[in-house]
Amino acid sequence: MGESKSDVLQGTLDLMVLKTLEAMGPLHGYGIARRIEQVSANGLSLNQGTIYPALLRLQQRRWIKAAWGTSETGRRAKFYSLSKIGQKQVTEETENWERIAATMARFLAPSN
Amino acid sequence: MDWMRTMISRCAALFRRRKLDDDLDAELSSHIELAVEDNLKRGMPEQEARTAALRAFGGVTQTRERYRVERGIPAVETLMRDTRYALRQLKRNPGFALTVIVTLALAVGANTAIFSIVNALMLKSLPYAHPERMGTIFQRTQGAESATGRNDIDGEQWELLRDNVPSLLAAVSSDGANGVNLQAGQNVQYVHAGRVSEHYFDVLGIRPGLGRSFSADEDRPSGPKAAILSYGLWHSTFRSDPNLVGQAIRLKGEPYTVIGVLPSDAVTPFNADLYTALKPSRKGEGAGTNFEAITRLRDGATWQQADAELNRAWASWEAWVAARNPGDRISFYSVPLQKGATAELRPKALSLMLAAGFILLIACANLAGLTLVRTARRTPEIATRLALGASQGQIQKQFWIENSLLAAVGGLAGVAVGLLTLRGLLSLLPEDYLPVASVPLDGRVLAFTLAASILSSLIFGMAPALTVRRIDLRSSMATRSVAGGHGLRLRQWLIAIEVALTVILLASSGLLIRTLVHLETLPPGFEPAGVVTAKASLDDARYHDPAAFRKLMDESVAAMQRIPGVESAAVGLNLPYERALNSPVSVRDGKEAGRESNADAIYVTPGYFNTLRIPLVAGRGFTASDTTTTQKVCVVNRAFAHKFFHGENPIGHTLNRGQTIVGMAGDVPLSPGLDNNAPLDSEATMYVPTTQVDAQLLTLVHMWFQPSWIVRTAAPVNGLTGQMQRALASADPALPFSGFYSMSDLQAKTLANQRIEVALLGAMAGLALLLSAVGIFSLVANLVAQRTREIGIRIALGSSIREAMFHIGAPGVRASALGLVAGQVLCLGVLRAMRSVLYGVGVYDAPTMLAAVTTLALVTLVATTLPVLRIARIDPASTLRDE
Repeated sequence: MGESKSDVLQGTLDLMVLKTLEAMGPLHGYGIARRIEQVSANGLSLNQGTIYPALLRLQQRRWIKAAWGTSETGRRAKFYSLSKIGQKQVTEETENWERIAATMARFLAPSN
Repeated sequence: MDWMRTMISRCAALFRRRKLDDDLDAELSSHIELAVEDNLKRGMPEQEARTAALRAFGGVTQTRERYRVERGIPAVETLMRDTRYALRQLKRNPGFALTVIVTLALAVGANTAIFSIVNALMLKSLPYAHPERMGTIFQRTQGAESATGRNDIDGEQWELLRDNVPSLLAAVSSDGANGVNLQAGQNVQYVHAGRVSEHYFDVLGIRPGLGRSFSADEDRPSGPKAAILSYGLWHSTFRSDPNLVGQAIRLKGEPYTVIGVLPSDAVTPFNADLYTALKPSRKGEGAGTNFEAITRLRDGATWQQADAELNRAWASWEAWVAARNPGDRISFYSVPLQKGATAELRPKALSLMLAAGFILLIACANLAGLTLVRTARRTPEIATRLALGASQGQIQKQFWIENSLLAAVGGLAGVAVGLLTLRGLLSLLPEDYLPVASVPLDGRVLAFTLAASILSSLIFGMAPALTVRRIDLRSSMATRSVAGGHGLRLRQWLIAIEVALTVILLASSGLLIRTLVHLETLPPGFEPAGVVTAKASLDDARYHDPAAFRKLMDESVAAMQRIPGVESAAVGLNLPYERALNSPVSVRDGKEAGRESNADAIYVTPGYFNTLRIPLVAGRGFTASDTTTTQKVCVVNRAFAHKFFHGENPIGHTLNRGQTIVGMAGDVPLSPGLDNNAPLDSEATMYVPTTQVDAQLLTLVHMWFQPSWIVRTAAPVNGLTGQMQRALASADPALPFSGFYSMSDLQAKTLANQRIEVALLGAMAGLALLLSAVGIFSLVANLVAQRTREIGIRIALGSSIREAMFHIGAPGVRASALGLVAGQVLCLGVLRAMRSVLYGVGVYDAPTMLAAVTTLALVTLVATTLPVLRIARIDPASTLRDE
């Protein structure tokens, strides 16, 4: 299901969400989306809506928790935070990603 | 771990979709609002801020859809939606749903009930440890008359089996439990005792809860007398006395040491109150084949080894039989105990299963017809859905979901109906009819019911599902309703099939009814009304002496005769309808000298013939002057005279034990034990006076039979049974009666099997008839409804109402007629299987067949006429105006 573009992004997006929550603490969906946009310096043309399926997947794996709360401007919003399992997973996933990135880098390096 | 957590979360989501949907909507709108707020803060005008926020988010609806797909299990959600749709469809037509469910409930219920019995008899393991290692011994006879069957064995065979067949642990027992007198304190009761050999409980795998089993010493003819009690008797009569083992109780008139008590859950083939040692030998009882053997395969041995050892051990017996019946070859083989114990009931249970299967088929044919009509009615709806883009597959799926729902509800109702039927059925069965302790509704039965429901939904769902494929969009959308020529022909075929099956069920139950009527109306040959009988056990040490026995007879009969209102009283070892002792008889003198065969032997007091009103057709009965010292005499019946003297006058001839035939009595029906398998027949019988029975025979017969005291009164006497017990007590205060029976009680007991067969098959035939009637009725009623317009036009064009009725009713009648003919052809083959259970009626019985056909024809007529009558109310003008 879904287009191939988002499939490639799926694992990446999950890790971005995890890293965001690790760095920022509890945050609502909009905040997470903004943060990812800012960090990537708008290098990704990502619809903000795509983070919701990612949030759902992470919740289903119990890596993150969600609870309704109030934003700094006093608006009701759902806040996400890392769970215990999630905290461990961030490290693991980061290592994973670095390994893949390093491998990819070797492939992409000019072969001289 | 992750995928498991995901799966759990997805499953959980199935049950709170609405809440989760609301939650998501709230979250998404809060997201947009936060974004708008942010944009405003950055100085965008209100309108632009919102547009930008929505643009950045992407499609809200797409996000929601993707979210939902990943949240739950889409396939399940679709199924739930389709199921809800199916329920709505069914609710729109509750009559249809109800008809289907009731039909299924009845058909599945009948199948469940019958299958639970089959399951308990044939599939469920016996309630013993390692039942697959338990067996019984069958004899195979090859030669002029080939046969196989379970055979009782004699003392010599037993000793050879015990000593020379090392692969088997074997034990023998008496043939069923017998009444004995148990004295506890001042109280004497009539209890049921089984006689079993050493190792009997070892073969069954039962270890006494208290004490031990019989030892080899206790099983020897002159060994110590010992008894093992059932838990029930120990609990009720001996108040669970823990010190009872080792103590003596007074049983059969002498002291027996209690050596053990069985555990509360122990089940034996006897289910007796207590057990004594069989003490088998080659003499007395053991001189004839009176023992029933059971075996258990020893560890490490195989059945092949056991059979080989068995045939070696019994080689001399085989040779002896072969010598007596030249050309015959006999051999023995082990049969699993379950199969051996249920051999007689098996064919009956299977034929009932077949009948129940017919019911299910008939029900399915009906339901297929109903769903066909429903599909035809829904053609416009289906065509619309197809036109709107639904695929064939989706429409098919919808149909199967509706059918499965109906099958599931019908199946559940079927389990309930089955449970109730089964309970009713078991209460109908006589005690100890089934050789199993209980008939449970276990997993196997439920699996069977499930399979039956699924199968039926497949069968009845197939026809409409196939017709949906043929729906032509253009013509279906155009016409208002579809008559469906093809559908009609299919429905006619279905009706024909169910009528044919109904013919078989009606004819076979008709044959069983004729059998029962024949047996119940056999000329009794005596006067059953006005007689009360009661049994007492003389398997008692005090009556081994013929003098004591004669004294008891004289005094008790005299005391009963003194009861006011009693016309006459007597004692006989057996009564009409009962099974009697088979005894070898030969003729000593005259033309037939040396003629040898078996006859029933019954001892009676002089008043026996008079009290039962059995006519003496020649010679005299017994009198008080036939004593121990006078000439030995006997009275034979007509069947005896026929068998031994070719119907010539038997009086004056002498038999092998020196008895002279002094009289000839009329025949009475007995439960035959000789060569006839009919449940009731008049067998060759010789009556001997109680005064002339020798001591050895007296002891032997009282182990097997309990004599009956018979009293005839002209009018009902108040408190007769109490007075009879007191009269007996005046002769022997320690002799209880087992109960009091009228002659019709005894007849009913003997014919219980036949009654059950009639009740079961009759009920199923009735059900089949009802289902067929419903099928024909709905076919014709539907034709009337579908063709109202056509009928209107016909009438408008000058057809008479009568003609219109014939025109519409004809398909139903034609289908039924075809079924009737086909059913009779099928009967030719099927009914042959019933030969062994029919008495007094042939397999192809014209009156039965005629009755079955007439019944069905009448039912067809009624089922066709009722809906056709509606035609008379059709007003051609208004029908045509409707167009």
